[in-house]
Amino acid sequence: MPNFKTVNNNTNAEATSSLLDNTSNLIAIISHEFKTPLTAISSAADLIAAKLHIDNYMDPFYKKNISKITTEIFKLNSILDEILTMSNIISNSIEIKKELTDVHEILQELKAQYFTDRKDARTFKIKVSGTHVKILADKKQLSTIFSNLLNNALKFSNKKMPVAELKYEEHAVIITIEDDGIGIPAADIPHLFQPFYRGSNVDNIEGTGLGLHIVRNFVTANNGEIFVTSEQNQGTTFTLEFPYP
Amino acid sequence: MSNTILLIEDKPGLLDTVQSLLELHNYAVITATNGQEGVDLARIHLPDLVISDIYMPILNGYQLLEQFQQDEQLHKIPVIILSAKTAEDEMNLAYQKGAAGYITKPFLFTSLHEAMKKLLT
Repeated sequence: MPNFKTVNNNTNAEATSSLLDNTSNLIAIISHEFKTPLTAISSAADLIAAKLHIDNYMDPFYKKNISKITTEIFKLNSILDEILTMSNIISNSIEIKKELTDVHEILQELKAQYFTDRKDARTFKIKVSGTHVKILADKKQLSTIFSNLLNNALKFSNKKMPVAELKYEEHAVIITIEDDGIGIPAADIPHLFQPFYRGSNVDNIEGTGLGLHIVRNFVTANNGEIFVTSEQNQGTTFTLEFPYP
Repeated sequence: MSNTILLIEDKPGLLDTVQSLLELHNYAVITATNGQEGVDLARIHLPDLVISDIYMPILNGYQLLEQFQQDEQLHKIPVIILSAKTAEDEMNLAYQKGAAGYITKPFLFTSLHEAMKKLLT
């Protein structure tokens, strides 16, 4: 009964699509609703800190622990944003606005910004070779890609500054992001871009396991490719390639 | 003389906390719990600055911005939007409708205060 089967498949596809849309909407609502109490908590922590300052009661103990409350609130907020982005990817409801984009400019903007997850004062180096050519990409998604990879490079290394290198080649721009951190065990590399997968050597270093999944999706959506090479305790290099329009 | 701030927020817990933070920083604060009440109070008190949520009952933040733009006296008062929506489209819409600033929730009071100080000088 081929016709019946076709109809049934279509119905299933529609039902699946509708379920994904509903799930995505539900996650968007939950994420938004969580932010209200998170804002109330962070404002209350701000208020307690301000009052302690004004009354001259602020000391290192209060300062450290109030700052801990605020840091954890912003971490939880980032997790919500990542889950929301991933749910939008799954339900195909991510809007993509491709325009001529200067990759170097995006990296410079990121360098100037404050990295909230930083555990030290390091930033990253930018090296450029070749003649600048713009690529056709979504600026916001490109910024998310580099911000994720650079945050990881800083998070999983301790000594040297990570390096973002741009090579404007004949047909494409090649970007490498290199760190001298803990590296990724060979057995983990094939699973690295799967949602919630975390390297077996990350121990207590925090993360959701969603960042690289989002990165790969955004790279693909912008006609790019991503590769990784890594050696344990030596470092990791992510290589991205975006063709010129 | 302290600046007068009109704070519009429909969540009582957050309204109360942000009001206390502003008062601790020596601002005089008037509060409203929806956009319509905010517009009415703005016409009476002509505050130096308005801080408003977007998603509120009766009159939302976008509608409030529209009413401010159409009003001869209110259109000069800067409005900072505080919203949990982080999408670029939402921010652009708020700016198109006349917002002077847009701060995403959750926020640090220092970020809000910096934005306020720039608009009040």
